[in-house]
Amino acid sequence: MGNRVRLAVLSLVVIAAVGYLILTGVKQTGMQYMTVTELARLDHAPKAEGFRLDGVVAPGSVVYDQREPKLQFKMTDGKEKIAVVYDGLMPDAFADGREVVVEGAYRHGDRALYASKLVTKCPSKYEAKGLGKDKS
Amino acid sequence: MSELGRLSLLLGFACSLFAVGSIAWGLRTGLSGPLRGGRRAVWAVCGLTVLAVILLERALLARDMSYRYVAEHTSKDLPLHYAFTSLWAGQEGSLLLWLLILSAYGSAFLFAYRKRLDPFYDAVAMVIAAVMVFFTGLLSFVSSPFRILATPPPDGMGLNPLLQDPGMMIHPPILYTGYVGFVVPFAFAMAVLLLNRSGTRWIEEVRRWTLFCWGFLGVGILLGARWAYIELGWGGYWGWDPVENASLMPWLVGTGFLHSVMIEQRRGMLKTWNITLIALTFLLSMFGTFLTRSGVLTSVHSFAESNIGPWFLGFILIAATAATALILYRKALLESENRMDAIVSREGSFLFNNVLFVALTFATFLGTTFPVLSEAVTGTKISVSAPFFNRVNVPIALTLLLLTGAGPVLSWKRVTASVLKRNFVLPAFLGVIAVLVALPFGATGVYPLVCIFGAAFVITTIVMGFARGIQARKSAETGALPGQVVSLVQKNKRRYGGYIVHAGMVVIFLGVLGSSVFQKEAHGPLRNGESLKLGPYALTLRGVTDHQRQNASLTTAIVDVQRDGKFVATEHPSKAFYSKSQQPMTEVALHTTPMEDLYLILGGVNEDGSASIQAYINPLVSFVWVGGLIMVFGTLIALSDRMRLRREEKPVP
Repeated sequence: MGNRVRLAVLSLVVIAAVGYLILTGVKQTGMQYMTVTELARLDHAPKAEGFRLDGVVAPGSVVYDQREPKLQFKMTDGKEKIAVVYDGLMPDAFADGREVVVEGAYRHGDRALYASKLVTKCPSKYEAKGLGKDKS
Repeated sequence: MSELGRLSLLLGFACSLFAVGSIAWGLRTGLSGPLRGGRRAVWAVCGLTVLAVILLERALLARDMSYRYVAEHTSKDLPLHYAFTSLWAGQEGSLLLWLLILSAYGSAFLFAYRKRLDPFYDAVAMVIAAVMVFFTGLLSFVSSPFRILATPPPDGMGLNPLLQDPGMMIHPPILYTGYVGFVVPFAFAMAVLLLNRSGTRWIEEVRRWTLFCWGFLGVGILLGARWAYIELGWGGYWGWDPVENASLMPWLVGTGFLHSVMIEQRRGMLKTWNITLIALTFLLSMFGTFLTRSGVLTSVHSFAESNIGPWFLGFILIAATAATALILYRKALLESENRMDAIVSREGSFLFNNVLFVALTFATFLGTTFPVLSEAVTGTKISVSAPFFNRVNVPIALTLLLLTGAGPVLSWKRVTASVLKRNFVLPAFLGVIAVLVALPFGATGVYPLVCIFGAAFVITTIVMGFARGIQARKSAETGALPGQVVSLVQKNKRRYGGYIVHAGMVVIFLGVLGSSVFQKEAHGPLRNGESLKLGPYALTLRGVTDHQRQNASLTTAIVDVQRDGKFVATEHPSKAFYSKSQQPMTEVALHTTPMEDLYLILGGVNEDGSASIQAYINPLVSFVWVGGLIMVFGTLIALSDRMRLRREEKPVP
């Protein structure tokens, strides 16, 4: 029986360690989903730092300095807009009106999200509408 | 022609249903006629699927734009080889590829066991046929590749430029060969439970099937990483994207199973655990297909949302419920024959290894699905990405690395202190030496140093393992060292194949360490003749050119690369504009040397004619690919072992 106890203790230790890693991992690296409207209408600095926003690149808002490289644009969900600053190359599929997902730190003072990650969803053009109906 | 395609899939659905019913009837009544009929129906599904694939390929190659699938994924200017591979560019075609490989596995299985008259093999075929029911049904009623457009467009929408890459031509079929293959071990396990079979013979057969698909899945994952490295143009090859994780999870559980199955063979222990791992591997590969195709999570790979998500989820739930119910129902069959003698033993290390592999899978699963889970539990949607996985998975993976060294040199049952000393002192000593050597090169931090220690430790134990084996056989044979190594490996292919796989994994660890911790970056706009410094490299812009390719126009920067003042190469990072998508595509320039990659991206050309260049030095990236090749080599050796339970491997009483 001694072994069974030891085995149980060992398993518990592993489970506790992994659980600890996961919990602190979520706490320190988790990004809360927000809509552009929710974030734009905050009247005080939020408690959490990391946010993840889904939205669309507001047409005409893109300012891209290719030399830095630094990409600035406004993101919108149709109602509100929020400024996004991203230090990096413009992703290939990035363009006005494209759906993007942005993760980063929100600074209430600047009313801007400083993105650490910017993913452009591939335009749905590739699997698409626009071809019309099937032949019945 | 499209009607013929639909018909063949529909007949495939009917044949799969018939196979399940007929075999079930045959098993129940003991009649051989229905069993034979069921087996033939499985063959028929394979033939019908091949017909459907040929019909769709014909349409793709002819760019028959009346087919919705063709119009969505090809265009008239698409090169022929990409038209061929656009079979797996979209959802319907990918599902058809799934079915093709599944039915090929079904036929291969029947062929391999054609001389066995045991109804057990019919039961296995029945489970495979049940999975075929799902895929033929999906392709017939939900997601048909043979939809015809009312008004065919003059030209198609073109293939996503990201998929126009040689790696993408072979990545999906190889990955699917791994994914889909786990159906066979799953079917074996379910057949064992259904027929209440005892004995360990099936376990050896399952081990071989699993090893085969596990090898393919590993290659598929690495090809995907290679594709991301070359095509996505962000300087890395692994980003903990949901789809990457989806392919990693079944691989992790499969790896755990390949280890714990040895305990079952040797000691008759862990039967329930092993069957659970087999089922989990299969379910996770289904889940992977679901993630890739459902659009539930945001991913670089999710090209569209789709309607097949609920169907997949439903199938996974049904399969999981059935497997769980069967395992519980046959509890008595899965009773352990032995108890563990000591924790510090081969069994103990394998058990620990399994706990860690499952923990790694669990953490990956949790992180991947966290947005969905957190919303369900707390109402707030929270996502985690690369930093989370690095934080949680890296320490677990490093523990596994250390265990890779420890496990094989521990003896079964019990380990004595003298064995411990004999096997561990030298590896640990060399591990410390390796750390001391690495320190002046700028290696700091706990994880990198543990990784270096572990790598040296594992490699030493592997070399010692080979040396001991040769020594033990000295009396029998003499000759040159290479010849002795070869004959040693031939005598025990499983063990030494496994050691080689371990060595490959160590090489991959070193590659990951080098390219993640020691990556260097520089960027800037360059005018003609200006240089960018990056480490020992100087990158000088020699000009910018424009030219036309079959379906794209290219802007290319010509960059001279000097290392330590000496010219080494001229590189051409480019941006391509595909005529169909009107979207730029970064085409990375890679200068590969054994110790590091120079990775060049053209950000764009500025108004004043200067070119914005971003450059990375990625140390040891080639180790990742070479490590993969070593693993393939080791897997092939282990697979070539045809002998069943050898004398020395008879169960320990």
